[in-house]
Amino acid sequence: MSKKKTILFVDDEPSLQVALHAFLEDEGFECISTSNMTEAWEVLETTHVSSVVTDIMMPAGDAFPGIDSSETGYHFIEKLRKCFPNVAIVCLSVIGDQGKIRHLKKLGVLYLRKGETPLGTAVKTIKQKTTGIYEG
Amino acid sequence: MANIEALRRENDELKAELALVRKESTQYLQNVAHQLTAPLGAIKWSIEGLTMVGNVSIVKRQKLLSSIYSQATILVHLIKNFTLMSNLEVDHELGQFREQPEPVDLLRLCINLASDFQPQAADKGLKINVDEQSFHDIPKLKEIKIVKNLIAQAISNVLENAVKYSVEGSTIKLSVDKSDRVELFVESVGIPIKEDEKDKLFERNFRGVSAQQAVPAGTGIGLYLVARIMKLHKGDVSVETNGKKSSFIFGFPLKALS
Repeated sequence: MSKKKTILFVDDEPSLQVALHAFLEDEGFECISTSNMTEAWEVLETTHVSSVVTDIMMPAGDAFPGIDSSETGYHFIEKLRKCFPNVAIVCLSVIGDQGKIRHLKKLGVLYLRKGETPLGTAVKTIKQKTTGIYEG
Repeated sequence: MANIEALRRENDELKAELALVRKESTQYLQNVAHQLTAPLGAIKWSIEGLTMVGNVSIVKRQKLLSSIYSQATILVHLIKNFTLMSNLEVDHELGQFREQPEPVDLLRLCINLASDFQPQAADKGLKINVDEQSFHDIPKLKEIKIVKNLIAQAISNVLENAVKYSVEGSTIKLSVDKSDRVELFVESVGIPIKEDEKDKLFERNFRGVSAQQAVPAGTGIGLYLVARIMKLHKGDVSVETNGKKSSFIFGFPLKALS
């Protein structure tokens, strides 16, 4: 049996992900929840992660002082892209101006808007991004 | 000429002030949108999950329903605060209550509020402890004259912060004391509050630096409303801190007991 692929979630409001986790776990993925950039980085350094689903507005945590919490996600994604270029990234957020979203897309990040993207679409696109298999 | 120069300077200052207000107002709206969208998004996804074709196990169904309930509770609390904002402004201008104060059992109220926040507290491994004996020591507290809805919302706002910012596994304690006035204490162990932030905490739209770092999204009106509500009751609210330990104190005049 092949090993489960791991998806790392970074969001200080994990309640939103109850449904998302439940259905991704049904699809055979392991979901890990973290609530800030520091916690997420600790996981990345110790665990093989296939994809990261991150918010923008969240705490940076102790290891990354001086980051404006309204922009933590942008810093996290830049650093992630640099240190873990093979990890797929999905940004799940309610905020983000068009210019910044365009920049994220150039970095290969998939942007999903919280509260607007249907659950089925989110599950399907995160699955595709994580496995690299696009079907249907 | 000097007058024109002074007017120009004043005009520039007003323009800068206006730009700042606009910026703050945009940030505030963004914040409010974030606060409302997150729970609504969670409810929407949970409902979608419940209606998805295929087997939705009982455990998963229970998880989704429980998520809907707790997110709806958060929304109700948030919307109550927004409604209070406008009502309280009018009440303050009139200098009177919309509803008249009536005898309320403060212990019962505190126990009910603690129970409301229990699910969120449990998620963080927190305990909410109501020191019942301290209430029994002041028998007249069973009929303290207050506007129940307002005081409930004020205590909820402080409790909500305590749950949000407390260190995992710690205990939040509610107790009362009586001296030249009646004091209700909400103690918790969380992020430190700086000395120069203590008074500003009760200003509209203010959020402490550490609070913003710990929880980026917040409306900044919760504690402002608490101060407004307490003022309407001819009382006040203050905070005492000792490192990570903080204690919010609701002070009621003794007259409220008579």
